[in-house]
Amino acid sequence: MFWLAWKQLKLDRIRTAMTAFAVAAVIAVILVLDGFEQGQYRQLERVIHNRQADLIVTQAGVQDFVAARSSLPQLTREAVESVTGVVNAHPMTALPVIYRQDGKLTPVYVLVYDTLGGPASLLDGPGIRQGRDIVIDQTLALKYGLGMGDEFRVSDFSFRVAGITDEAAFFMPFAFISYDGMIDLFLESEIAPDLSTFPLLSFLLVELSPQADRLTVQRSIEQRVPEVDVFTPAELAAHDVDMARTFYRPIMGLLVSVAWVIGMLVVGLVLYADVRSRLRSFAVMKALGFEHRHLVTAVVAQSLLLMLLALPLGALLAWLLKEQVESVAPVYLISIYEPLVFTRTLVAGLVLAVVGALVPLRSVRRTDPMIAFQGA
Amino acid sequence: MFLWAWKSLFSQRSTLVGSSLGIAGAFILVLFFDAVFRGESEQIVAYPAHMNPDVWVMQAGVGNMHMASSYIWDWKMDVIAAMPEVERVTPILYFANIIEARGSKLFAFVVGLQSGEHRAGPWEMSAGRRIAGKGEAVIPAVLSRITGIGIGDTMRITDHDFRVVGLSRGTYSSANPVIFVTLDDLADILSAEGTYSYLLVDAKEGVSPKQLAEGIRRTVEKVNVLTTAELVANDFGLAMQMGVEIIFMMTMICSALAALIVGFSAYSLVARKQRELAIVKALGGRRGALVGSVVLQAVIVALLGYLLAVVFALLVIPQVPLLVPQLSLVVSIGDILQMGLVALLVAVIGAVIPASLVLRLDPALAYQV
Repeated sequence: MFWLAWKQLKLDRIRTAMTAFAVAAVIAVILVLDGFEQGQYRQLERVIHNRQADLIVTQAGVQDFVAARSSLPQLTREAVESVTGVVNAHPMTALPVIYRQDGKLTPVYVLVYDTLGGPASLLDGPGIRQGRDIVIDQTLALKYGLGMGDEFRVSDFSFRVAGITDEAAFFMPFAFISYDGMIDLFLESEIAPDLSTFPLLSFLLVELSPQADRLTVQRSIEQRVPEVDVFTPAELAAHDVDMARTFYRPIMGLLVSVAWVIGMLVVGLVLYADVRSRLRSFAVMKALGFEHRHLVTAVVAQSLLLMLLALPLGALLAWLLKEQVESVAPVYLISIYEPLVFTRTLVAGLVLAVVGALVPLRSVRRTDPMIAFQGA
Repeated sequence: MFLWAWKSLFSQRSTLVGSSLGIAGAFILVLFFDAVFRGESEQIVAYPAHMNPDVWVMQAGVGNMHMASSYIWDWKMDVIAAMPEVERVTPILYFANIIEARGSKLFAFVVGLQSGEHRAGPWEMSAGRRIAGKGEAVIPAVLSRITGIGIGDTMRITDHDFRVVGLSRGTYSSANPVIFVTLDDLADILSAEGTYSYLLVDAKEGVSPKQLAEGIRRTVEKVNVLTTAELVANDFGLAMQMGVEIIFMMTMICSALAALIVGFSAYSLVARKQRELAIVKALGGRRGALVGSVVLQAVIVALLGYLLAVVFALLVIPQVPLLVPQLSLVVSIGDILQMGLVALLVAVIGAVIPASLVLRLDPALAYQV
């Protein structure tokens, strides 16, 4: 039956190509939507793992890294570094700012770092070498046409772009400055009079000695320094993903559901139109003594073959879309090739093919074998 | 010829309905995406829009509430309150952070109010009462519905627990449910004693917001002063700008999908009517008329899909929050009209391959049996 179905698909190659393209486009839309949601979670995980800490210390009660305000007393660093197994507790401060240029506004998550936690990779530029240097995410560079050496103004303070990186999460591009830069920003800009309210230390990135047991040190820090909580990067990332899920899931879940309904309609429509155009072939098969179940098998086989053609095409289209979206708006990561997303789409696609094949079955059942003997 | 196109299209109703539904689905995806961003953006400005003081005073260099932080000394409020143009000044502390309620973690806007202050508090209560003292919180009624946390229950902001004493209406969005606590509690959390985030300033009668803003700028150094309209426009613009690229990409992707469906439907129709079209060609039918009939069919299919999407957008999308209360959806008539133009474009693009098939059709096909 598969051979027959394949032959029939080959009969009208343009139609088969268009059909496969239509189904592939639906697959691509679903992969992109699903990948968009997964991408947001991966970004949140990535920005935490990119800080390269063994443990991350936050203000007590703060369990997240992105979109959370954490403020640690200055003396915390000393207390954490006194715990056995801790080699260094590198300071990090998070400053959410809104960047404004040419009437366009973008929220930016500025990370202030000293000896660890800076940009994980640089797409361009040497990185931070002095106080006024700033490394910005490529989203900002693209959106505002910024390049090496350009001015980047935050609260009337001028930074100079010294690097382009690719770190963004939760719709926000990231930027990196040094503590010298932060102090200059506070002292020279309009923020200075109200400096006392700003968190000067948000997180500590703990570096452990090679022989230290991470869990033991985590517990020791929490016991010795009650005003902090300590997390592994994986734990902190899981909390951020958890928070993001409550935001994205209702929206993306509904969008992906709508996309699947469209997919079902398209596959059903495609197969229905195809079967209608080949009613004579089915009539011939009936006249030759093929039973109804054989015809059903032929339709389902054809549907599955179409889906098998469409799936790799859909994956390719999705990849092209992903590349396009990420080049236009690099603040979004689209993770289409995640095992979960891909397997889910593959299985759902095959189910869709079988369900879609049910749509034209009524036409097949009602086909009169006499049609086979009528003129074309 | 156009009559033929019309008749042949409606003779295959199942194909017509299926195609239109598929196209409608693609357009619905775009309209839905847009409604999400627009709804969230409108809800993001719900707080400043409802408070509607004549002017907002904030830290210099800050021009937003959404995703912003602002701190100004408390003495600046006293200076402003003493100005002759000023009727009333209401201070708030504010920060955006993650809150925890019954195991659910949400990003929220937390507003700290002076005890007994109603000017900057929730504008409509659905249950319970307003905050009266430390450790109390008013949360959105929708938040209560989706997390199960009710009056008397406890929620957590950083390391502080709060008892929910009231539920407010119109204060929820996925991006920023607005939580009200006392100013003292929030000052504890932020270690921000002696500072406020924003001042809501009401002018005396006869003083315009612009006059008031200019007066404050002249009197108080290092603050930014915006009218409510300006602050709302800034926040709405920021929120919409965050979604503009993704909405554009979704429009492109779904339009391409719609064009494929249109193309497929028109191609199927032409393929099935090849012999009839060949007869028309053999009888001297003009190529322009033949191509026109294909384009007409594509336009009808695309417009039907578009109309179905519009009906869905106007009737169904506004009802979705009843089932999924955490969504704020707003359908824009401007976007619907824009989508109409996209539908026409989609029809023309979708008609290209079927039209080329018609042009290549051999009239001799009419004589084959």
